[in-house]
Amino acid sequence: MSHAVLLTPATVMIALFMLAPIALAAYLSFTDWDGLSPNPQSVGWDNYAQLLRDSDVGHAAVVTLIVTVVGTLTCNIAGLGLALLLNGPGRLNGVLRAVVFYPYVIGPIIIGFLWSAILGANGAIAHVLGNAGHSPLPFLSDPTWAVGSIVAVVVWSQFGVNVVLYLAGLQTVPPALHEAARVDGAGRWQTFRSVTWPMLAPSVTVNLVLVLVGLLRVYEIVLALTNGGPAGRTNTFAFLILSESFRTNHLGYGAAQAITLMVVIAALALGLTALRRRAEDAVSA
Amino acid sequence: MKNVLKALVALIMLVPGYLLVVNAFKSQDDITGNPFGIPFDRLSISYLTATLSDPNYSLVRAYLVTALFAIAVNVLSLAVSAPAAYVIARGTRVRHRALLGLFLLGLFIPSQVLVIPVIYVLKFLGLMGTVTGFLLYETTLTLPVSMFLYVAYIKTLPRELDEAARVDGAGPIVTFWRVILPLMRPAVATAVVLHTIGVWTDFVNPQIILGPGSALYTVTTSVYAAIGRYSTDFTVVYPNLLMAVAPVLIFFVLLQRNIVSGLTAGATKG
Repeated sequence: MSHAVLLTPATVMIALFMLAPIALAAYLSFTDWDGLSPNPQSVGWDNYAQLLRDSDVGHAAVVTLIVTVVGTLTCNIAGLGLALLLNGPGRLNGVLRAVVFYPYVIGPIIIGFLWSAILGANGAIAHVLGNAGHSPLPFLSDPTWAVGSIVAVVVWSQFGVNVVLYLAGLQTVPPALHEAARVDGAGRWQTFRSVTWPMLAPSVTVNLVLVLVGLLRVYEIVLALTNGGPAGRTNTFAFLILSESFRTNHLGYGAAQAITLMVVIAALALGLTALRRRAEDAVSA
Repeated sequence: MKNVLKALVALIMLVPGYLLVVNAFKSQDDITGNPFGIPFDRLSISYLTATLSDPNYSLVRAYLVTALFAIAVNVLSLAVSAPAAYVIARGTRVRHRALLGLFLLGLFIPSQVLVIPVIYVLKFLGLMGTVTGFLLYETTLTLPVSMFLYVAYIKTLPRELDEAARVDGAGPIVTFWRVILPLMRPAVATAVVLHTIGVWTDFVNPQIILGPGSALYTVTTSVYAAIGRYSTDFTVVYPNLLMAVAPVLIFFVLLQRNIVSGLTAGATKG
């Protein structure tokens, strides 16, 4: 009885504001609801079929894929690389750790605005180039450049978290192992390859999943940096869902997009965790 | 070689911050003429003070609103998640593990997308556009991380504590309140740091749930409203951005060690 008193408030909140909305969106995704009519009609899988034919969705999926794959790899390679550089005592290393990490506390919307003031057509870099007699570079105005800019800004703002997490992972590698490897005559690369890397397996999993889940839902940076432009060419999936939901009244279709993104994120996160389990088991074996 | 790399990284990370600070004190001509320069004789604090006196998006009010939101979310989050985490951490049945799994599922749900169906639920409850509705949803979003941290932490506390309390005649509620909660301080500190940053930097939820109609702006939504109108007037852009990040940067410099260790715990406990 008293257990129920302790459990109920949290359970009710998660049921009301997470499970019920997801269930509602799942239901609406099979209807033609326009946001007003009291009786939405069932349309079967039509909304999902439309999703596959919709070129806007296809394009947003490609942009999201590029941002996620390139971003996840870059964040992790740069994060681990810098963690290896900063692993060790010293005031300077502590300062640098703070320097790569500070974007985390600034938050994505402010970061997006700051970088748009730097990269924009009228921004800081354009003025520096202009004053030197060069024409500006199309950081945000050319579709290809703009996707690259988004990836760069996302990595700039996120990889500090990976540095911190990899540094924590490196602390768990027993110094005795490095010592043993050195005594056995292993070089630096060999020590990394056969001692550090396998011991880091759990860290790698956490970092991969964390960045992957974060990047699949990139929204605020896109909003502040390019607003999806030029001409919708930098819409990520999350950005498309949010902007469409308020512009059109095809809410059933919007719900189908939202459910698709949630399923993709959950499936990738769980799949990646399961895949990585083998690498982690190798450590404990 | 190592030091060259480190210097390069520091440069890439710090240049945007440098531009943010320096240009907040410069006129439009000075910013566009030389964004990186510091015209010492023409620096002015007037652009920053203008952000404070803007009648539409008073940043002072926004600081206050956001700080109150952060406090409310933290209190509410602790009040509902710590007791539940206690029962789940001590529970041995399948349903306890299933319930924990349900909470942890929230770690993978994109809140920016979830918010759309949440609007319907809030409308149904009559809470759309209200502070109550916003706080309830914002708090729900903190529960997965809180549960993750608290369950892992409570599992490290010896069960003998519970036994001793039970022998003394205490029920689960009293045991939780008198024995367990006071010991949870480190885990609570971690959660508070993460949730405070989360609420302070959140933009989508206050923007959508409170909306421009409520006239209640957080720091991020008021900066968005102010900059959205004058995005080419850099004497509005840079000062607003600097004012928005100044409190968190001070918070960060003072609590850097706790934030970093909190984040590490948040990602690896369990």
